[in-house]
Amino acid sequence: MTISLKAIERERKLKLFFFLGAQLCLFLAITQIKNVLVSFLLAFVIYYMLAPAVDFLERRGLSRVWATTLPFLILTLMMTVVIRIFFPVLGDQIESLKVNFPKYLESTTTFLNSMESRASHFISEIYPYDLKGTMGPQAMEMAQAALKNLPNYLSQSLAISLLSPFLAFFMLLDGRDFVRKIMSLVPNHFFELVLNLNWQINRQLGGFIRARLIQSLLVGFTIWIGLLILDFPYSLFLAIFAGILNVIPYLGPFIGIVPALIISFSNGGSGDGNFIWLLLIYSSAQILDIVLITPFIVAKIVDLHPVTVVIVIIAGAQMMGILGMIISIPLFCTLKVSTQSIYKHLTDFRA
Amino acid sequence: MVNYIWDNLFLEKNENRSLRESLKKNILFQDLQFQELKLVRNIVNVRHYRPGENIFKQGEVGVGMYIILSGVVNIYIEEMQAQTSSPVTSLVTQLKTADFFGELALVENEGRRSASASAHEETVLIGFYKPDLIEILDRSPSAGVKILMRLGEVLGARLRQTTARITELKKDHKKP
Repeated sequence: MTISLKAIERERKLKLFFFLGAQLCLFLAITQIKNVLVSFLLAFVIYYMLAPAVDFLERRGLSRVWATTLPFLILTLMMTVVIRIFFPVLGDQIESLKVNFPKYLESTTTFLNSMESRASHFISEIYPYDLKGTMGPQAMEMAQAALKNLPNYLSQSLAISLLSPFLAFFMLLDGRDFVRKIMSLVPNHFFELVLNLNWQINRQLGGFIRARLIQSLLVGFTIWIGLLILDFPYSLFLAIFAGILNVIPYLGPFIGIVPALIISFSNGGSGDGNFIWLLLIYSSAQILDIVLITPFIVAKIVDLHPVTVVIVIIAGAQMMGILGMIISIPLFCTLKVSTQSIYKHLTDFRA
Repeated sequence: MVNYIWDNLFLEKNENRSLRESLKKNILFQDLQFQELKLVRNIVNVRHYRPGENIFKQGEVGVGMYIILSGVVNIYIEEMQAQTSSPVTSLVTQLKTADFFGELALVENEGRRSASASAHEETVLIGFYKPDLIEILDRSPSAGVKILMRLGEVLGARLRQTTARITELKKDHKKP
């Protein structure tokens, strides 16, 4: 009995339709429901962070359920300790920063103005820019809006911080079965390609996220220790800020140092020597990162040209703000791997 | 209604058992213990093919191997005819239930399929791909090593067969 090629083609199209439909539904659910996108992204980060530990425990003979539960219990315990020790300090620092930030900003503007008047004294002909009139109010507005919205961000963060570990737990426990079920909808004709693509993306993205997390932790920790030694105010807050922004390649480290510089300028600028020490601390964190972590990054996915990185980050920032800046590079990398593999399939994979 | 629920409750379990038993019969998985077989069963992909439907084509990059759960698979090669420069298809072999093919793709890096495969009738295959093998090695290295040892054995046997065939052909060629 032979079924006509037309019938096989029809069945293949139907399967492809359901596969793409399932993908679209999932995408809409993730992007349209409030807090779900960020929760999913964070869940993926937790997933990639814990997956090697879960596999290790499974290798040691634990069932998948226990191998998944145990790292979560340890993580919860660690988070509880971290929250109990660091959150009161962090809360005090944020509260104090909220009060003092306008003052810091004003002193910084004054400092920059004095620098500007000195500069314009020499190059008044070619530098007619009014820094005081433009930068001051804008920076004040941005900073005040950010600090005013902080309670909102925190309440959203609470929802996300509960939802994302929940999602990550089930991703680790049943994620493979779920992917297998979705994969069963892929038509036979594309099956090997999609399976290979999924594996490649998963491997490269996992390596990328783990490497970035380790880099951020190292950078944040080094900066925290450096600022503590320097007895610089808001050390914990500044270290966390720099660590998070370090996720953004090339630009992150520069943005990460800005709040510390603002505080330093308001305390007298380069006069008290803090400025040089700050630059030293932040640069040594980056040097440590480059020397210790970068050579061991297996994922060659990071090999993006600096110009590409900057353009992608700007596009991300325009679409989704700070979050867009952070997630734009991993998303672009996923897109890059997918496009490369599909292109390779079209030109090379098929005979 | 109760019967329907009862039947469906055990349908999947029966399917799982039959899949596990089919895997156990295959040389690659015959050394695995019960728990290891359960892991493999949860990782492999069961694929259904219509009569005449292609499984893979000669020259494509291969990602994995297939074990026939039921049905018949035609293995054939396409060659260009020198005179007419049009492709000629010739059947190499016909494989049936419990046979397997495409195992070289598990160890090759982007190796190409040396022949095409298509379903001769309604066919159910177990697809076992390179990412699946790597997942097994990650989650249960002992099971992975057992599979790899058997895979080495299969590939060695295939190599021996090919060498013997080449020797025979050479002998035939030398004869006046």
